[in-house]
Amino acid sequence: MNANTPAKVLSLNNVEVVYDHVSLAIKGVSIDVPEGGMVALLGANGAGKSTTLKSISGLLIAERGEVRRGELQFLGRSIGALSPQERVRLGIAHVLEGRRVFEHLTPDENLIAASAVRGRHDTSRNKERVYSYFPRLHERRTVASGYLSGGEQQMLAIGRALMTQPKLLMLDEPSLGLAPFLVAEIFQIISRINKEEGLSVLLVEQNAVAALEIVSHGYLIESGRIVMHDTAETLKKNPDIREFYLGGAKAKSFHDIKHYSRRKRWLT
Amino acid sequence: MDWALLAESAVNGGLVGLMYSLVAMGIVLIYKSSSVPNLAQGAMTMLGAYVVLAFANNAKAPIWLAIILAIVTMFGVGMAIERVALRRLAGRPIIMILMMTLGLEILLRAGSMTIWGGTGRPMPIGISDDPLFLGPLLINRTYAVGAAVAVAMFALFVLFFRTRMGVVLRAISDDYTAAWSVGISVERGVALSWAMSAVVATIAGVLWASVQGVDQSLAQLLLKGVTVAVLGGLDSIGGALLAGILLGIVEGVAASFLDPLLGGASRDLVDAAMLILTIMVRPHGLFGRHDIERI
Repeated sequence: MNANTPAKVLSLNNVEVVYDHVSLAIKGVSIDVPEGGMVALLGANGAGKSTTLKSISGLLIAERGEVRRGELQFLGRSIGALSPQERVRLGIAHVLEGRRVFEHLTPDENLIAASAVRGRHDTSRNKERVYSYFPRLHERRTVASGYLSGGEQQMLAIGRALMTQPKLLMLDEPSLGLAPFLVAEIFQIISRINKEEGLSVLLVEQNAVAALEIVSHGYLIESGRIVMHDTAETLKKNPDIREFYLGGAKAKSFHDIKHYSRRKRWLT
Repeated sequence: MDWALLAESAVNGGLVGLMYSLVAMGIVLIYKSSSVPNLAQGAMTMLGAYVVLAFANNAKAPIWLAIILAIVTMFGVGMAIERVALRRLAGRPIIMILMMTLGLEILLRAGSMTIWGGTGRPMPIGISDDPLFLGPLLINRTYAVGAAVAVAMFALFVLFFRTRMGVVLRAISDDYTAAWSVGISVERGVALSWAMSAVVATIAGVLWASVQGVDQSLAQLLLKGVTVAVLGGLDSIGGALLAGILLGIVEGVAASFLDPLLGGASRDLVDAAMLILTIMVRPHGLFGRHDIERI
């Protein structure tokens, strides 16, 4: 990102994460999220997308991982040494992969549980706000959340994150396992929250097609390294991205397939 | 069939059962707020009783004050167990935590033996030994008091789990990582659940000690507690209450009719049968939550 972009909410500089002291999961990741911006982090399975998010939210502790090198800054402040709770208090919200709602609690209770770092007074106001974005949750607010549909659970997971009054919303694969129309609906609501509240968004996706529609910039991560960074428009046009992440430019015949010999250009 | 004996065994059994529920409630409290099955609950019950005696005999406090001081002390002990033993285990497999609680059980039992010796001591809380007369039935006063306390604690905890803090603890037990992700201090929640459980253990310890005296055999209440907790459903406070009554009645009736034939082991046989059958037939217990599977 060049120097005259707006202030950064989040800035990762050369972050390296190790699990169990030995296995290197990300190897020097640098990412910037501008204030009020929407940025996507794209990549295949196991590329290090979720690990990157966990290094930001501090949830590596749940999996015995640690940031071994590099700098994590949130609103100009170094957050590497803070507990997950302190990071939430500062305004970092992480919507986990696979939704992870509190299944035995109702949606209403999920939202209450998620307001532990905010005051009692804010809780009811935040709840109103979440229900206005996701009216369907309001309809189902007294059912055990484990019985909600996948889409409703994803809405609840996002709503739960909003209860913490974040400045940065990080979403890990919100489209996972959802029907395309639901993906569209959820992405539309995310854009709306971004526009209406100026909330910065870092979106992790395998579904590059859907993600590149709503973000302004994207990073591409492969085996723990950022290999490409550009505006969404440019990324959509990039022939390699088109082939490897957007489902190929045109249908191929198996006769003239030479896919195996095709190297990604950025690997030189 | 001796109907009066049957009725008397059933009523006293039910009351004893509610006193089992007190031990089970401690297990349920911890399970409900952190998904850890605590095998040290019996030893904590025993420790609670010893701490009361320490305040009453060594510090010469009146018994009611000794009980209050012991409750406060045990609250601290519960917090300390989380801080010292459990915090570093966060994120480890549940079997490690289970073994840790077993280690605590052994430590508390052996430690109390070292400090206070193994001689049984009385716990004089001033409940008369004279029975209450309920029509033709003789009811043990201590059991009646214990049962009333159990019901009161039940009401208290049901209310607690509806509060904000209670909802947070239930959220923790559902999913540690998700709880962290929304800024819940999982460590503090788990510590609170252990502290509350240690308080319940102290209350149960005092009541049981007034029945059978204070010694290491109080720790064996773990077996009753586990049976009742599993039968009721490990995360259901109400389940612990009803399962306690159920187990107590079956045990009491079985003991008065089978003991002459079996020579005194019938209570334990009933326990074993209840525990094993529950796990085979209804692993979630009577009121335990099911893991939700969406299809």
